[in-house]
Amino acid sequence: MGTVHARSLDPLPMQGPELGVQADDMDLGEPEQEEKQEVLENKDVVVQHVHIDGLGRTKEDILTYEVADVFRARNLIDVMKKSHEARQKLLRLGIFRHVEVVIDTAEGVDALPNGLDVTFEVKELRRMTGSYNTMVGNNEGSMVLGLKLPNVFGRAEKLTFQFSYGTKETSYGLSFFKPQPGHFERNFSINLYKVTGQFPWSSLRETDRGVSTEFSFPIWRTNHTLKWEGVWRELGCLARTASFFVREESGHSLKSSLSHTMVIDTRNSTILPRKGALLKINQELAGYTGGDVSFLKEDFEIQLNKTLFWDSVLSTSLWGGMLLPLGDKPSSIADRFYLGGPTSVRGFSMYSIGPQSEGDYLGGEAYWAGGLHLYTPLPFRPGRGGFGELFRTHFFLNAGNLCNLNYGEGPRAHLSKLAECIRWSYGAGIVLRLGNIARLELNYCIPMGVQSGDRICDGVQFGAGIRFL
Amino acid sequence: MSLAAEAFVSQIAAAEPWPEKATLYQPLKEDQILLSDSASSLAVQTFLRMCGLPVQVSCCANAEYMSPSGKVPFIHVGNQVVSELGPIVQYIKAKGHSLSDGLDDVQRAEMKAYMELVNNMLLTAELYIQWCDDYTATEISRPRYSSPYSWPLNHILAYQKQWEVRRKMNAIGWSGKSLEQVYEDVSQCCQALSQRLGTQPYFFNKQPTELDALVFGHLFTILTTQLTNDELAEKVKSYTNLLSFCHHSKTSK
Repeated sequence: MGTVHARSLDPLPMQGPELGVQADDMDLGEPEQEEKQEVLENKDVVVQHVHIDGLGRTKEDILTYEVADVFRARNLIDVMKKSHEARQKLLRLGIFRHVEVVIDTAEGVDALPNGLDVTFEVKELRRMTGSYNTMVGNNEGSMVLGLKLPNVFGRAEKLTFQFSYGTKETSYGLSFFKPQPGHFERNFSINLYKVTGQFPWSSLRETDRGVSTEFSFPIWRTNHTLKWEGVWRELGCLARTASFFVREESGHSLKSSLSHTMVIDTRNSTILPRKGALLKINQELAGYTGGDVSFLKEDFEIQLNKTLFWDSVLSTSLWGGMLLPLGDKPSSIADRFYLGGPTSVRGFSMYSIGPQSEGDYLGGEAYWAGGLHLYTPLPFRPGRGGFGELFRTHFFLNAGNLCNLNYGEGPRAHLSKLAECIRWSYGAGIVLRLGNIARLELNYCIPMGVQSGDRICDGVQFGAGIRFL
Repeated sequence: MSLAAEAFVSQIAAAEPWPEKATLYQPLKEDQILLSDSASSLAVQTFLRMCGLPVQVSCCANAEYMSPSGKVPFIHVGNQVVSELGPIVQYIKAKGHSLSDGLDDVQRAEMKAYMELVNNMLLTAELYIQWCDDYTATEISRPRYSSPYSWPLNHILAYQKQWEVRRKMNAIGWSGKSLEQVYEDVSQCCQALSQRLGTQPYFFNKQPTELDALVFGHLFTILTTQLTNDELAEKVKSYTNLLSFCHHSKTSK
């Protein structure tokens, strides 16, 4: 919560989280306490001045929006509440290390008898922070350098740069973020990046060099993001034994796409939520702003959570998507959907469901996947209240299907195709929550409905990631 | 691949007969392919025709990137993908077809020497003229090479290829040469070939070999491709026996 100091020269004792009263005032106040309480709550105050101390490079105009609400407080409790809210708003700008609030009676020539001064004592973040890591992975070592410049020009702009130099691949990312003064939820960012990825399930190597700009803004309770992205994609075979279908996709292409995402998130947490729901709908249109590839892509994600008896949580989720190539070129392997693995339909190997050729999975143009989970605390609750709270046991049922669509047939044929030969699995396991970002899972899975060509991972499966079915 | 793996693969290759659906991949014929790639592709097609093996020609914009070695043309036979004339000749030999079986060791060594001459002189000269001569590069090579791609990728890829070829020319010491010197080298190469050919229909005996396929591929392409000027074609035309060799090979079989 932070600390709120309230001081006054008035001998009346004040109520609040921390009292700084003088000894003789205490005696004076005691017998009259009942009466004074009521007076205090109804006592009208006027906030006359709000100061922000400790500013260096931050420009004042963006801060006035965040603290404007404090002026509207009418009594002391209100002042404290609104000051607390203003403190939260200042912290979420991401430019201060910490913020302290001091409430005092008004001073100066124009001070009213019931006037108050609120002062926010802030400490700005350093101008530049850097980090340096070395990473060792699959047959590759790399050096990662990170630079972060918060509050570059004084209005909460943020510039981050990351550069990774490895024995096999080099990648980098540069990102600039600027919120609108007064409306932090409305912001835009520009990113420049090069990333390389290796996908052994498809024997494919992909290098993306791209630039993207995105605008985010809230409308009522939903959050929208509009993004334009231009990517130079280079695909190649990972091994000489790659199938010819994958070899045919090698080469360069340019994708220029516009996308829109809508998110409604009422969950109380991103990882292992106890209640709330998530709805996320994303569409992407490529080809009408230049580039070689042309398609329309839709995908959605729904998640519902409900707490049941005894601290257990029932969670259901549904994912789906569709890719419609526009024009006469077929869809590219880099745009298609993949299914299977410890983060999607458990019990199957990573992205190893659906159309394949000689052991290389080619992805599909339409898919759906659903999951039903029951999360319970660990049996016998070891480490209750501490470390044990990070773990959950879960029982799950996953199902999904992935296929290519022949757009000559009608939608009815597509739906029936997605409904036949459903892959599904069930099992149980342990989930570990890592901060508020990621989770680890160790499950025992039993895959069912396996079609020829799918690769399964029955028995114990380990998974780590940020987005799970 | 290791030597043992290669030996294993060629044994497997030898076991299978030549399929009906063998395909040869090259860049797009009308808009994209350049002189050097067209010459290499014609050489491989001629060689396969001489061996009596049917093959379909398929044109893809990304043929160069599909190839396992990065060079065109390449053939897709059954499960195997083999690129460039040298490895293709080896592969065909493992299958039991060979054009140079009738040669003795001395002639075979001579044939290899002449093939190296064509690769090191003629092919390098073609690459030099295409990419190191600014006028040709701007008028012909870069626009053609990048034609299947959209802006700005077309410029990026064309310049990337140009820098790569120029770096290679630097490495082999050709960057110091002028265009006139390169034409002189072509002339000398043609003279050597013309002397070896003499009045025979083919370079060795009465049967065509892979050397004939290679020489035909390059010379015919030079004669029939329109560049910024006709000097290269003129150099070849000045040797009449080479001209009649091309004419003869084109109409035979």
